[in-house]
Amino acid sequence: MIPGSDTRYYAACCPMGHGRRLLLAAKHAALLSWEVDLQARTDGHIIELERVHDHQDENSFNDALNSTLFHLQLGLLSCRIYLEMPSDLDRQIQQLTRCETISEEEVKRLCLKAREILIEEGNVHTIDSPVTICGDIHGQFWDLIELFQVGGFCPETNYLFMGDFVDRGYYSVETFLLLLALKVRYPERITLIRGNHESRQITQVYGFYDECQRKYGSSNVWRWCCEVFDYLALGAIVDGRVFCVHGGLSPNLQTIDQIRGIDRKQEVPHDGPMCDLLWSDPDGWSLSPRGAGFLFGADITKIFAHHNALDLIARAHQLAMEGYKLMFDKTIVTVWSAPNYCYRCGNVASILELDEHLGQEYKVFQHAPVDVRSIPAKRPPADYFL
Amino acid sequence: MFPPPTKPQDADGSIRLTDNDAALARLSAVQKNYLSDLFIRFLVPRPHLQAPRPPLINIGTFVRTTAIDDLVHQWLSLSSNAGKKCQIVSLGAGSDTRFWRLATGPLKDQISAYMELDFPEVTTKKAMAIKKSKDLSAVLGDPNDIKLAQGGICLHAPKYHLLGTDLRKPMSENLGPLVSETTPLLDPSLPTLILSECVLCYMSVAESSAVLQWFREYFKNSVLGCVVYEMFGLEDAFGRVMVNNLKSRNVTLPGAEYSSDVNVLPKRYLDIGFTTSRALTLREIRRAYVEPEELERISGLEMLDEVEELDLVLQHYAIISSLAVSSQEGLSLWEQWGLRVKERKSEDD
Repeated sequence: MIPGSDTRYYAACCPMGHGRRLLLAAKHAALLSWEVDLQARTDGHIIELERVHDHQDENSFNDALNSTLFHLQLGLLSCRIYLEMPSDLDRQIQQLTRCETISEEEVKRLCLKAREILIEEGNVHTIDSPVTICGDIHGQFWDLIELFQVGGFCPETNYLFMGDFVDRGYYSVETFLLLLALKVRYPERITLIRGNHESRQITQVYGFYDECQRKYGSSNVWRWCCEVFDYLALGAIVDGRVFCVHGGLSPNLQTIDQIRGIDRKQEVPHDGPMCDLLWSDPDGWSLSPRGAGFLFGADITKIFAHHNALDLIARAHQLAMEGYKLMFDKTIVTVWSAPNYCYRCGNVASILELDEHLGQEYKVFQHAPVDVRSIPAKRPPADYFL
Repeated sequence: MFPPPTKPQDADGSIRLTDNDAALARLSAVQKNYLSDLFIRFLVPRPHLQAPRPPLINIGTFVRTTAIDDLVHQWLSLSSNAGKKCQIVSLGAGSDTRFWRLATGPLKDQISAYMELDFPEVTTKKAMAIKKSKDLSAVLGDPNDIKLAQGGICLHAPKYHLLGTDLRKPMSENLGPLVSETTPLLDPSLPTLILSECVLCYMSVAESSAVLQWFREYFKNSVLGCVVYEMFGLEDAFGRVMVNNLKSRNVTLPGAEYSSDVNVLPKRYLDIGFTTSRALTLREIRRAYVEPEELERISGLEMLDEVEELDLVLQHYAIISSLAVSSQEGLSLWEQWGLRVKERKSEDD
């Protein structure tokens, strides 16, 4: 137990045979270094079976688990398992929700745990409706809070964020760590996929690297976050019918199965299918003026949707002044979730709510009120040609 | 030239600080190989310590500079075709290096006079920088021919003149005496080009029109060209945010056009008496008026993360080129002056 910390108890009664499943679920839900008390109740007496202190080590957890199950098999008919969760992670989420950073050590552990979760997700992560789909956030922390106010907070609402959490805005650190902490806390409730800014090279140009240096005095946090970036899924598919990706399609990818074959655990390459998924824009096959990715047109989009039995392709990556933009007979939509992008563009933002029948509702929202907390006092002014 | 970025005391101080933005943008574009300019580093203190500007700013700086260079080079060539030398007057020149680039280029002999005007605070610093840097002063001529004047706010060299003034004062009081002495600094018979990059927008329309009218009158028997580069379209969402953001820097834009319609921009120049006037947005210029090879080259310099944003920003800046010609035969030669499409691209992308 961490002295003085709040604790939360999750209690569950279960018949014998379900013990393992419950423990696995508990492990999944509580991947940070929870202390877990496993107790069995018999004849009114609570017998402490095992106490696991640190789950960072997979083997020690498994040993504890097996030994618990061994005890359970000694004739106990039922057990009550108390998962004692020091609210470390919950406290971090609260702190981050106030736009306060967490300690470097906490970031390190959070990133390690996040990787353990993300590595289990496929290149195209499968999720179920209902889910709320969000586009670029770009470190605009207070606008992310605005987004949660419009769409509901996690875990009450299921979320899919289509990348570009960092860079450009003033609060990339707090933004990404909050989303990552929510991912670790509620892995089934929130999905994060990779954007072209989740890259070592791009974050060194567009602000995240400098922000980590400024807020932590070293590049450690940036480095750990970049390692997490390498594990983020490249796309997601909702109920098998809505394909979500940051940028768009690739001339080298005709099917979603082909995406599953990519080795994604690397820095975003300068070309090739993985690069295209994160960099491309809908607009006729040709080279993109961005210097990476392609432009893809209506025909390509419709053929891809047809071949893969898709209702819709949802993507982000491009500023949409009205918050979202449907194209090509509504086969593809750009969802943009950074209002008044870069504190300069004057645009509104949106989120796409998919209900359990995949019905689409776009919720448009404005930027958070401009005050001292939304824009730091020593901010670099928005750039203009003067 | 670069005081710490504290909040300036007065509005003029804030406007003078905008030259820092321009100079740093130029330095960044040069360091990132968008532009080549051997002289900007002598006008920015500690150039090696200045952080690069974002790619969007570098690209915009490239487009603006390339287009204005194009217009200036055409002006020099057309003067040559007309059998005359020409003059260039840069209003609010700040730390601009165009004179040095022209004076070391192939068309240098076409220039009979190059005049830069700005606030005395700005020209004093520039005059000192010129005096301190051999690289800058060597281009101006023999050291004995480079003279400070009016307590260091002005500098005169055989072709180059740096004048400290306030353009909002009546021209008859400030520039008038300087140019129309017994040996005038500007010859009213030579084709003359006015350059103004993000300057008129900080003055009221009445004040800037008075300046342009004065030049129009002074060169009424010759050829006057005018290149104005500035923001416009303050009426839309981007424009409103720009006005607010600049207000927090204590900068206002009394002279900038509110309408988002680029075709509105030439009207005021025609009203002043220019024969022709044409406005193009930086977005249009980037699309079609820059050599495709150059666009391809700069697209490889840095990864551009957001094209829509680039277009949005570039759409709010325009280059307006206006021409006043006194005779019909003059018009047939000088009407060739203007940016030309380098490659036709589809407009729907």
